[in-house]
Amino acid sequence: MTNAFLTVDNVTRSFSLPKGGEYVALKDIDLQIAEGEFISLIGHSGCGKSTLLNLMAGLDQANTGGILMDSRQVTDPGPDRMVVFQNYSLLPWQTVRQNIALAVNNVMREASDAEREERIEASIALVGLAQAAHKHPGELSGGMKQRVAIARALAIRPKLLLLDEPFGALDALTRGNLQQQLMQICQQAGVTTVMVTHSVDEALLLSDRVVCLTNGPAAGIGQIVKVNLPRPRQRLEVMEHPDYYKLRTELINFLQQQRRLKQHRQTISTSVATPAAAGVPPAATRKVRIGYLPGLDVAPLALGLERGFFRDRDIQVLPVVFHRWQQLEEQLRSGELDLAITSASAPLALNLGLQGQPAWPAITPMTVTRSGNAICLARRFAELQVGSLASLADHLKGRAARLRLAIGQQGSMQDLLLRHWLASGGIQPDQQVDLQVLSPLAMQAALVAGDIDGFIAGRYRVAKAVESGLATVLATDLDIWSNHPEKVLTCHEGWAARHEALLLDLCAGLIRAGQICEDGGQHDNLVRALSQPQWLGSDSAVALQRQFQLGNAADSGRRLPLNRYHSDRAHVANSAEGAWILTQFSRWGWSAFPSNRLELLGQVYRNDLCSSALERAGLPALRPERQPIPLACGRPFDQDDPIGYLEQLPFSAGTTQAVVPLASAEANRSFAVP
Amino acid sequence: MTSLPASSRSKRRTSPAWLSSPLASQIKAPLVCIGLTLALWQFLAQFNSEGFPGPINVISQTWDPYIIHPFFDDGGTSKGLGLQLLISLQRVAVGYSLAAMVGIGAGLAIGLNRFLRRGFDPLIQVLRTVPPLAWLPISLLLFQQADTAAIFVIFITAIWPIIINTAVGINEIPQDYTNVARVLRLRKRSYLRDIVMPATAPYVFTGLRIAIGLAWLAIVAAEMLKADGGIGFFIWDAYNAGGDSSTSQIILAIVVIGLVGLTLDRLVGAVGNLVAKGGN
Repeated sequence: MTNAFLTVDNVTRSFSLPKGGEYVALKDIDLQIAEGEFISLIGHSGCGKSTLLNLMAGLDQANTGGILMDSRQVTDPGPDRMVVFQNYSLLPWQTVRQNIALAVNNVMREASDAEREERIEASIALVGLAQAAHKHPGELSGGMKQRVAIARALAIRPKLLLLDEPFGALDALTRGNLQQQLMQICQQAGVTTVMVTHSVDEALLLSDRVVCLTNGPAAGIGQIVKVNLPRPRQRLEVMEHPDYYKLRTELINFLQQQRRLKQHRQTISTSVATPAAAGVPPAATRKVRIGYLPGLDVAPLALGLERGFFRDRDIQVLPVVFHRWQQLEEQLRSGELDLAITSASAPLALNLGLQGQPAWPAITPMTVTRSGNAICLARRFAELQVGSLASLADHLKGRAARLRLAIGQQGSMQDLLLRHWLASGGIQPDQQVDLQVLSPLAMQAALVAGDIDGFIAGRYRVAKAVESGLATVLATDLDIWSNHPEKVLTCHEGWAARHEALLLDLCAGLIRAGQICEDGGQHDNLVRALSQPQWLGSDSAVALQRQFQLGNAADSGRRLPLNRYHSDRAHVANSAEGAWILTQFSRWGWSAFPSNRLELLGQVYRNDLCSSALERAGLPALRPERQPIPLACGRPFDQDDPIGYLEQLPFSAGTTQAVVPLASAEANRSFAVP
Repeated sequence: MTSLPASSRSKRRTSPAWLSSPLASQIKAPLVCIGLTLALWQFLAQFNSEGFPGPINVISQTWDPYIIHPFFDDGGTSKGLGLQLLISLQRVAVGYSLAAMVGIGAGLAIGLNRFLRRGFDPLIQVLRTVPPLAWLPISLLLFQQADTAAIFVIFITAIWPIIINTAVGINEIPQDYTNVARVLRLRKRSYLRDIVMPATAPYVFTGLRIAIGLAWLAIVAAEMLKADGGIGFFIWDAYNAGGDSSTSQIILAIVVIGLVGLTLDRLVGAVGNLVAKGGN
């Protein structure tokens, strides 16, 4: 939206507490409002709705970020942004007319007396208070006072009307009438309006969009619901509209999920606080077992260990190598591993308990790497002129034999990307393709043996196969989803709560190492670190050296994109990406789409931990973007409308929604507290 | 339903209608209690050998000329109670008006300016506790003249509650009203006239009411020490004369001082209510 009338850009507002420290009320708010739009802000009390409104009014200033209206920064209050305050704020010593006149006379200083007089009378008439014009506010009912406040606000023709719970104190009947009036007035005046409200029905009746704020502290925008009900709206007609209850459920769901999330956080923190209160000393040795599969994705871990980024902070990191993802997950579940570098989809898959596993409350504090995948096919396909998705689809048409492709793990990010890519080319992955789960380390051998026709894997494996003359690259991340999350750090929710400081230090170390991994000048060091036996092995050194050149040289045929370790917000634990993963789980029929997705995502994607870790690493906090995710297939993913997205995807198994029971932190794993 | 208990009560009590009228029921209790107090006083005065008068004596001894001729003037300092009162009230009027004008102005300045508030607060807190009479010697030294000195004592006693209350009133202007002023970008003059003054008026009048009490307190004391006229002087003069009716004159003067003080307090209160009527 480039023609935004009001832009809230990356606004954070914190208040310093009397006892020291500070309370972050709002964090990283991004919002764009078009001219004439009616926006509602909704959320639980204390989530900073009114703070945001005051920031827009200019009555309060943001600590970071800014607010632009008509391309000018809002620095102080002014009559072009008129506020209708929560308790009306009429001057009790002035009559209704005087109250309105005060505003009009102050704002219309250039106008003639007659003009002002006319404006005042028109405003009083607009809200039907001609009979009460000579009365003092103390003699008026709540509804009448509110009408005066609205009349006063509209009398000065503001560009932006800000309403702070305008109908909160009124009885139901008065509220209904006033809502209808306000809607008509706003529509006639065409004024852009932002309203804070507690009422879901009020928000739906009046708004074009409803902005849902997450719980404070550090409240952000959780969801934006578009209300596409036809205008002009009538209270009763709106309620009978088929979409009304869908929207209403969505909003109520959001609020309920926020409440549960709050309770969940509280129980976690109290259950963690108890052993400390009982005097149990923190474990002296900060030993952490991290599981991984060798690949370029482990570069930050390898480099961090080599540079002593973890030793610096008294953490003893024990990397544990696996060759199959399944084994790694089993050990993570059993508690033999504290953490693992897993596929980006693993935390959600673990929570949902895909493939018949019991649900396990995994969280992810940070993304370790992004991109770095490629799909390759055996050389003979190139000889058959199969060099693109379209030609592959043609090739498969009318053939009985299924294409045999290897993936590292079912439901992994690579699996999802491969399926998405195939489907975007009209290939049904479950019918025309035979997806085999193989250890990434065994893929090349399987290709040689002719057991598979191709595979999706990380850059290192694909490049090796290509260099051995076995395969050709058919697609890379750039053709599917550039900068997608590939590997994330995963651990048990309870473990994270108990060892938060340790986890943050570890993440900070990985972040610092990631920074170095991405530095082109450090490739030699990276090669040296990765060619240690526990990572990729000494024979990888030459291959790696060549690969880095391959990645950068423009003329070496198909350029394989390098993994992202740091740049472009690589570390963000972005719940919007999680929402995409959930749509894919549902698309391929592995699970119903969780109707409580926000609660689930809020629990799994702990960007708060990521921000703290970044801070520990001396870097600015990152915030997830709210823009739709652009995918190469041309269907961008909007996190606020996952069902709409799912509906337009080819081969979608369905859009059934169900409440997913959330794995509780205490149920599945007892902790050996020494 | 509502008329039932009322009718049953009237049946039970057969008192005349005028006794249950609202005015009568308001007067009843004070009338009885004050009457009892006077009776007790009269009774105790019987046993006093020094001739301390009872209430009946007080009235009979001062009936002529003090009660029935309040405005007699025999020249010199021998004047009726009414004239003495007028002299005192005149001084209070001058001193109190000055205190109100200066006090509200200073209170506004201190309330609106954070620097001034912080700077003067300790000074005000100390000076406001100084008893009125402590100012008198300085005042006499400064002005040399008893009349002016008395006025100054009134001024300096009455000014503190006015300053403090005005400043507090400005501080206590509800955020809602200042927000309105900020959003409308009211000009300074309009802000003072439409928001600050009406919003602080109740506080100012509380200050003024406390101040009038203090002023009245101060004038009587000041006049007793050093003056040639006024109600305080009247008491002191009666005491020094030492005649038969001296005590009665003093008691009469005390009653008058009390009644006038009450009237002044109520007067300021009524004006305050009238001015701040729009508020709340």
